[in-house]
Amino acid sequence: MLVPQINSTNLSSAVGLGLIGFNENDIAVDYGCILFDSFVYTSRLCKKVVGIIPSSERLNTLQKRLVEEDVKNCDLVNANYNEQHFNEVFDCVIINSFLEQLIIEIKHDKTIFFDSKIRDKKRYNSPEKIRIGFFETIYKGLRPGGTLYLSYANKLRIRTLLLFIKLAIESFFTAISLKKAPSFISLLNAIYLFSYYLLSQEGLEKLLKANGFIDIEKYAVFPDHKYPLKIIPLSKLDECSFEPVQYISREGSLRRISAGIKRRVDRLVFNKFKLFDLSPSFIITARKAS
Amino acid sequence: MLCELITNNTHNNNTALYKCYNSNKVFYRKAAFSHWGNKVIDNENKGYEWFYKDTGTVIETILRKKYFYELDIPEFKGKKFSSESVISGNEKIIEMIIDFYKGKWSTKDVFAIHGDLALCNFIIDKRNIKLVDWEHFHYSDKEFFGYDIINMLFIFIYHESKRTFRLSKRNRDFLRKCYIQLIEGVENSNKILEKPFQNSKAYLLKFADRFLINTNIYKKFVLSGSPLSVLEHFDSIVTK
Repeated sequence: MLVPQINSTNLSSAVGLGLIGFNENDIAVDYGCILFDSFVYTSRLCKKVVGIIPSSERLNTLQKRLVEEDVKNCDLVNANYNEQHFNEVFDCVIINSFLEQLIIEIKHDKTIFFDSKIRDKKRYNSPEKIRIGFFETIYKGLRPGGTLYLSYANKLRIRTLLLFIKLAIESFFTAISLKKAPSFISLLNAIYLFSYYLLSQEGLEKLLKANGFIDIEKYAVFPDHKYPLKIIPLSKLDECSFEPVQYISREGSLRRISAGIKRRVDRLVFNKFKLFDLSPSFIITARKAS
Repeated sequence: MLCELITNNTHNNNTALYKCYNSNKVFYRKAAFSHWGNKVIDNENKGYEWFYKDTGTVIETILRKKYFYELDIPEFKGKKFSSESVISGNEKIIEMIIDFYKGKWSTKDVFAIHGDLALCNFIIDKRNIKLVDWEHFHYSDKEFFGYDIINMLFIFIYHESKRTFRLSKRNRDFLRKCYIQLIEGVENSNKILEKPFQNSKAYLLKFADRFLINTNIYKKFVLSGSPLSVLEHFDSIVTK
């Protein structure tokens, strides 16, 4: 048994990893190391954790944090995911918020996250292809029976919703004129985005199955996956109860009012209509077949 | 095994509560996320041990002391209550709880305080009463017998009056009835029952460290933040 430190940081933001149930002899890998608390939490409960960080700036920051926390059972690798080829090494693969970063990188060629020297040169890869390549890599790294933990924000829902609102307003105010043409194009665009969103939700699970993962479980996460306060397994919706959760904010009456409105909307959307596909974030766990 | 996250880091307790579904079995798991969380969970387990001791019932909780502690708690069958329960409509249950408290707490060799005795922490199945959430459990002197019940009554007052502390005559009479039920047969040396609400607040503030609170005590317990005038008012109602 490991001996607890006298004082340790509160790692409550890593609460999603509690869904996995680590064993003391597990070896885990964290792709991206986006959430430092999760990395430290994993190091506390596993035998060893490997962090793969494409950004050297983030690597330095994480190293400092690990020194502060006296974490020694870890290896950090400054590399991109596709430069690592592990063979059935890991008991667990953790991917926190990393999929979004990959997609942003590919779509917009942003260098915020990736160092230019190790940035993926294949800029013309579609997000779907990148995902498949990514899953192939992680699948190979997992031992049979090993667990995949994936958390990501449901970013498209806000974008889609805003687009529909914009379109509704536009169609209301626009007179019969040439302005209808761009309006029609943006409507098509919105429908495309909406269908992409719905497909990508299901598509991700299909992709996991296609890559050999089994026992796939999807969870709705509130208010977000970076600090969950409520996690609901979507296969147990009948047995779970939903009550809106928010981070506590006492600053200003406007914030309190908006929080109150959000609570009511959440009750309507999730309690009454059970539209959990609109959850702010998701966690997916899956297992590599033995 | 599938888990649902019920709460996380409530009142900065550095623990999370999961509901776990394992085949046909359902249980709750409290997990720590810091050393402080370990203390909270260890304490909670002691509370369950105290509660079950001498009852002839097998202790059904399982404590795993990994780097971060985990406590598995069985799912108790029975009626559960809201954290904002009020007096009206729950009178019979409240009387039953006071009876239960008097029986259970006065027969124990070592006196203890639950620390957060509220209706939402009871699960009641006919006459079978289970008590959960022992985070603030601690041993104390028997002279403080009654603290938990007075604290519970104050939580009821808080919700019943919608935080205004104004109660109907019916509710005031009921509070007095509860107080009489509680003090019957209590020793003269008791330090709670003379000015029950004021003395309970004094106990809470004096021994705050025993309650293992990792946040501002005024945010956690409504009794601790209530003005003296309010407590005097309710003391006079129940003791007149």
